[in-house]
Amino acid sequence: MDDEFDYEIDPEDLPQGTPTRGELGAPSVMVNDLHVTYKVVGARKRGATPVKDNMLRKFLRRGKNLTGGYTEIKAVQGVSFTARHGESIGVIGTNGSGKSTLLKAIAGLLQPSQGEIYVSGIPSLLGVSAVLMRDLTGERNIMIGGLALGLTRQEVEDRFDEIVEFSGLGDAIYLPMKTYSAGMGARLRFAISTAATPDVLMVDEALATGDAAFRERSRERIDEIRQHAGTVFIVAHSLASIKAMCTRVIWMDKGVIKMDGDPQKVTAAYRKYTKDSATK
Amino acid sequence: MVLVKERQLAVSISEQAAQHGLHPVGVRPKFGEYIKAIIKRREFITVLASSKAQAENQNTYLGQIWAILTPLLNSMVYVLIFGILLKTRDGMDNVIGYIVVGTFIYGFFSSTVTSSAKSISGNLKLVQSLQFPRAILPISIAMKEMFVLLPGLVIMMVISQIAIGVIQGSEAIHPERWLLLIPALVMLFLFSSGVGMILARYASRIPDINNTLPFILRIGMYASGVIFSIDRWVEHPVLQAIMSYQPVAVFLNLARQAVLAESNIPLDWSKWALGLGWALVFFIIGFVTFWKDEARYGRE
Repeated sequence: MDDEFDYEIDPEDLPQGTPTRGELGAPSVMVNDLHVTYKVVGARKRGATPVKDNMLRKFLRRGKNLTGGYTEIKAVQGVSFTARHGESIGVIGTNGSGKSTLLKAIAGLLQPSQGEIYVSGIPSLLGVSAVLMRDLTGERNIMIGGLALGLTRQEVEDRFDEIVEFSGLGDAIYLPMKTYSAGMGARLRFAISTAATPDVLMVDEALATGDAAFRERSRERIDEIRQHAGTVFIVAHSLASIKAMCTRVIWMDKGVIKMDGDPQKVTAAYRKYTKDSATK
Repeated sequence: MVLVKERQLAVSISEQAAQHGLHPVGVRPKFGEYIKAIIKRREFITVLASSKAQAENQNTYLGQIWAILTPLLNSMVYVLIFGILLKTRDGMDNVIGYIVVGTFIYGFFSSTVTSSAKSISGNLKLVQSLQFPRAILPISIAMKEMFVLLPGLVIMMVISQIAIGVIQGSEAIHPERWLLLIPALVMLFLFSSGVGMILARYASRIPDINNTLPFILRIGMYASGVIFSIDRWVEHPVLQAIMSYQPVAVFLNLARQAVLAESNIPLDWSKWALGLGWALVFFIIGFVTFWKDEARYGRE
């Protein structure tokens, strides 16, 4: 599954204050009893201890291991919630708790094994691996990304300077994207995806790779999207940045929602839980 | 009791969602909407195609020269082996022209099909990052192959016309027919992207298709008369008819009508009608086939 970043963030780098809380609008995302099961093709669960078998069985088992088969992983097991226009929701939880899977399912990238998801507009998911087309320049990627989002060529050209400025890439925009660092790619993807103000934006760890200046710019952009009645989901391991950017926090644990509500309360409970399990 | 309650809850949620203008995730769009969304993004198709064409030979020292060099070397190899060493030239008036046109045109078909089959798996990042009608991918890949073919076509014209001039005399060159190459290529484009879309759907589900494709394409090459004349070498009448009227052979025939002066390949309008039929049938079947599975592409 995805790599997870766990960056230390200096307190002075953090955007100050808490996000402004406006009136909550109508629902923008509704998730009802969502279950997601991964099928990992070509990997088979094996017992930790070898089984004693006769030669033929051994041979057969070995053959089985070589020719695919699959393992099932239950990543999300019964999640229900409603998000509203103008909310920014932080999703926290330990590695492998199902945060990224939940967002992928909302973005329509995973087939739920059970349950329903309803969204308004086209949800946009920003992940850690942010490269669209490796071999092409950042400039070309902006054009391709913009056109794919349904903008016209003219609209992309009009917004081009703004996108480049926001990404802070400067002349690197004319280099192939494979030469970018993870942070540079994430910045450009964030700039492209927010160029056409999305109804539902999901940011999965993509901000962790940015530097302090970019985090501040992206916090402002996220606030802007919320004020335009968008909904933003943010997965991050830094509780401080979650508190700075979110109006609500969902805590995922082993594929279910453990707590959902006020950022201060949920992060406090989560911190206590992680401390307890660390000292165990 | 509990079951009934759960059911009522689910109904009310879908009703609530509809009230607020929400739509379910991962449901295939209606056919009409799908076509509209593609037409709205027509610029996306051409930009994607030209960007990919540019990126094609980027990691080599000779760069874009390979766009000409690859087909040139390819046809030289076939001319050498089949035209000169093995002497399969019976039934052709001009072995060089015949083989050069065959390899360039079949090369387009074969590379379009190969890369279209990978259009979902090869662009997974793009598919998983952005929502757009996925049929844009195989179509723009076919267009990319067309862009890549264009410089090669110039080479094809130069070699074949010189060969005709030298072997058959300058009176055998018919510049007034060259324009026919354009409709022939448009039909070939429609046909190839149709086949590409069918393969893209199934190869996104069964990646093993990509491993078998090179063999099928090689059989296709020998079954289409790319480097030898079907009329001359296939004697069984039924087999000969199947081989000459199957789509790829028809498109090769059309291209040769336009460019060459083979006495076995006269201008024949019924073949053009047949080519148009094949092109439309395959494009429409391919498009519908691809659309049917739209909700699943890029999903795990």
